[in-house]
Amino acid sequence: MTVLAYSIDEALASLRRSGKSAAVSVGTIAIAFITLGGFLLVSVNIQDVLDRWLEAAEISVYLHDTATSEERAALQDFLRARPEVAAVEYVSNESALQRFRKDFPELADVTSSLSQNPFPSALEVRLRGDDSGASAETLAREVSARSGVADVQFDRTWLARLLGVVNSARLAAALVAGILMLGAAFTVGAVVRLSLYARRDELEIMALVGAPFSYIRGPFVIEGLLLGGLGATVALMVVGVLYSFAGQSLGSNLAGLAEDGQLRFLGYGEIALMLMGGIVVGAAAGTLASRAAHR
Amino acid sequence: MIETLGVTKAYGKDEYAVRDLSIKVEKGEFAFLTGPSGAGKSTLLRLLLLQERPTEGQIIIEGRDLQSLTPSEVQAYRRMVGFVFQDFKLIPTKTVFENVAFVLRVLGQPVEQQRRRTYTVLKWVGLQHRHNAYPLELSGGEQQRVAIARALVNEPHIMLADEPTGNLDPDLSLEIMNLFRDINASGTTVLVATHDRELIKWVGRRVIQLDHGHLAGTAPPPPPPEPLL
Repeated sequence: MTVLAYSIDEALASLRRSGKSAAVSVGTIAIAFITLGGFLLVSVNIQDVLDRWLEAAEISVYLHDTATSEERAALQDFLRARPEVAAVEYVSNESALQRFRKDFPELADVTSSLSQNPFPSALEVRLRGDDSGASAETLAREVSARSGVADVQFDRTWLARLLGVVNSARLAAALVAGILMLGAAFTVGAVVRLSLYARRDELEIMALVGAPFSYIRGPFVIEGLLLGGLGATVALMVVGVLYSFAGQSLGSNLAGLAEDGQLRFLGYGEIALMLMGGIVVGAAAGTLASRAAHR
Repeated sequence: MIETLGVTKAYGKDEYAVRDLSIKVEKGEFAFLTGPSGAGKSTLLRLLLLQERPTEGQIIIEGRDLQSLTPSEVQAYRRMVGFVFQDFKLIPTKTVFENVAFVLRVLGQPVEQQRRRTYTVLKWVGLQHRHNAYPLELSGGEQQRVAIARALVNEPHIMLADEPTGNLDPDLSLEIMNLFRDINASGTTVLVATHDRELIKWVGRRVIQLDHGHLAGTAPPPPPPEPLL
């Protein structure tokens, strides 16, 4: 019988024996991973919204009425040469007026009564989504100093600030999840130590007959691994239920935020991260606790 | 061969369980270790099993200095030593068969070999018909025979026994001693710690006498004994 088969056999038998304490351990790990999973769920959805907003972000460069076509062309060439710029579109003052009349038909009459077109010509600069915002701000400053430019409006600054807040919240949540996981690891360690105590007679015999250390410690490492994996699986199921509940109750409120008004569930990467996290935390706690098995 | 060279085991200052002890048990020999309570018999056996390390001195078993063994080598060494205790140390939640087969299981032996070898030794100690019984359903003598079967199942070179008849009546004690004689007859070195002088006289083998951790003397083997039972 291989050490792995022996360890799995003994670990399963031990989990059956320990019953309630194993359930408490799985529950503690599940709570830690529900926190992590919930945070991941909120995080990926906020990130999606921010990404879309960031992709749509623009710099509007308003031109002086007196700007020459050479100045405009030079400005367009300058912008297109920049790596953070995805596209540059020229919107003449006439086009801007037409767009206004189309977007706000109830105000069309007001513009008809004006003696001259109040809209300036502009260059609408679409930025790349992966840009940090810092270089875009620099670009906006540089553009505003060029001749022919009347004003520059950059709507990414507040998004960058929001992203900073979200990142801080993400860090805090990761810290809380980490502390909870540490607690979960201690619980797994305590349960494994209880198993160790329950099997102390067997362990003494094993040590005296010269059983290899892998046979002595293996069952406890596997027990920790199973507890961790089970806890993470329970957590994923709970997060799944919370996800469907949140999707139903928040659906209409999310119409303007989430794509298609639907929350996104965790991807394969995040699910694998949670499962592996549970397994690693459990196995590590089991490994540490099992050191007492042959002392 | 078992040899100790000036072995001392101290617990704290001036508390010696064994002091400057030098003994030798030849390969294939059957010897008794005797002396009053506190003489150091059990401590010496624990030292030979490497449950404890000597404070001073050397223990040489089959040419190897036990002090130099790494933890993994200690486990490998223990595989060639069988042990029997006064309190049997059987696992109460396992059957007779499982208690014996357990040794082979944790040594990674194939299942078929575990089964075959376990039935062989249970038959040898006369307990094949009780293989499904639990230890607490057995008499003291039967429990000790299970412990002997467990010690034998891995075919050890050396058999150590600490007061193996301490909990048994005289008839059962003789029965157990007969088993040890048979084990020794197959070439295994046997060292039995006991303070039962009658038993030593009946079995008639060399005696190593301890007193307050010192070697108090050795008695040469008497003429070959008559069959006990």
